[in-house]
Amino acid sequence: MSSLPVMRAHAGISGGWRGARPTETPAFAGVTEWLWGLALALLTLLASPAQALIFPAFTGLVVDQANILPADRKAALEQKLEAFQQKTGRQLVVATVNSLEGDDIQDYGYQLGRSWGVGLKGANNGTILLIAPNERKMGIETGPGIQGLLTDAYTGVIINSKIRPAFKAGDLPGGIDAGVDAIIEILSMPDDQAHAKEAAAVAAWDKQNKRSSGGGVPGALIFWLIVIAWVVFAGFLRRARHGQRYGGSNWPIWLWAADSIINSRSSGSGWGGGSSWSSGGSSDSSGGGWMGGGFTGGGGGSFDGGGSSGSW
Amino acid sequence: MMLRRRLTLAAPFAALALAGCGVNAIPTAEENAKAKWADVQNQYQRRADLIPNLVSTVKGYAAHEQSTLTAVVDARAKATQVTVTGDDISNPDKMKQFQDAQNQLTGALGKLLAVNEAYPDLKADQNFLALQSQLEGTENRIAVARSDYNAAVQAYNTRIRTFPDSITAKVVYGAKPITPFTATSPNAETAPTVKF
Repeated sequence: MSSLPVMRAHAGISGGWRGARPTETPAFAGVTEWLWGLALALLTLLASPAQALIFPAFTGLVVDQANILPADRKAALEQKLEAFQQKTGRQLVVATVNSLEGDDIQDYGYQLGRSWGVGLKGANNGTILLIAPNERKMGIETGPGIQGLLTDAYTGVIINSKIRPAFKAGDLPGGIDAGVDAIIEILSMPDDQAHAKEAAAVAAWDKQNKRSSGGGVPGALIFWLIVIAWVVFAGFLRRARHGQRYGGSNWPIWLWAADSIINSRSSGSGWGGGSSWSSGGSSDSSGGGWMGGGFTGGGGGSFDGGGSSGSW
Repeated sequence: MMLRRRLTLAAPFAALALAGCGVNAIPTAEENAKAKWADVQNQYQRRADLIPNLVSTVKGYAAHEQSTLTAVVDARAKATQVTVTGDDISNPDKMKQFQDAQNQLTGALGKLLAVNEAYPDLKADQNFLALQSQLEGTENRIAVARSDYNAAVQAYNTRIRTFPDSITAKVVYGAKPITPFTATSPNAETAPTVKF
């Protein structure tokens, strides 16, 4: 979808370019066309699927953008949520937003969850209680890893029986508290299978967290070091036998290799590939790992659109 | 001797040059699209699994809505017959068949859910409410799985059609573009609205 304006720009620019140089030979025009094509292809690759929605920053387990919680209630709620994460390894986030930007709440919610990385990567055990007071909409977004306990039907029950009555009476903080309590209650129940998966994900998160603060060695870097060492070594051998004939000719190769390293790291392939670490979770914020208490940021959890929503 | 050493030196770079042309990236992108397609089918299957329960619950309260119920049962039977494996996703005809069958089921379900307005007892039935919210969640999951699939397809199709991967795609793999999901019928994008 993002390629359409690019293609239009293509037509416009190349037309103007040709118009400005009427003496161009056809062969040269072909080359320019090809170059434009290449540049635009690269642009299209860079232009990732348009992130239409703008989300608030993930600053804590309670993100009260719409400002409906008094400071003391917010602090108490944050404590409750941090204790829940410490106890179970699952992450529950309360988010209030000023606007859904015209989107459906369930659609907004799952994208918010993915963008923040609520829950742990692999275990996908995050939950979001999302409130949009201006649109009078509320929703519970569940990660696939906890849907065995917190089913869609049960999120519907929580919304209908705990949250909506309080919201209808105008008591937003009370409704949020009641909803959070109900979610925590069901998610604190034992579920062996889910717990085993979560334990593994917690260990992985803690390990990765430590590593990123200590500065690990990416696999791609090792690979390229070996390649460079090989080239340098071979170059020395050759130089020892044939004198300076090929001196300095390896530079382009090194530049290329260095460029590849930079690219491979920035695109996130190889080491730690693809975990949504941009979402927060600075490595030294808690010092105690995922279940050590305090705000850890997101763990790269994903969402599949499960949960339910309603209005009041 | 000289030539051999040069060839030895060239070998790793030849490998790297190939890697830069998508020898690895094209199959990776294709497998990703296939995995996303499996998600789409899982979610549709999940919806199909919910329907027998829903039908029997509605039957208990609204037995004389026979035609609506039959339409749902028939559409479900048809939809579960059309399966598209990971190897078929570059076949537009099969994809269209699949989408048409599922869209028909979506439409029939929408009518069935609209029926509940006329039956207050049904609307208050706990089992029906639970099924309704499961169905709502499943429709949401289908929408998410579909957009994830389309994103994977877009990535793959862009890759096999842009330089330099396009050369590898043609020469090495003979890669064909994968068919994305499209909203063909006017109401395909709107899931049955579930109101509480």
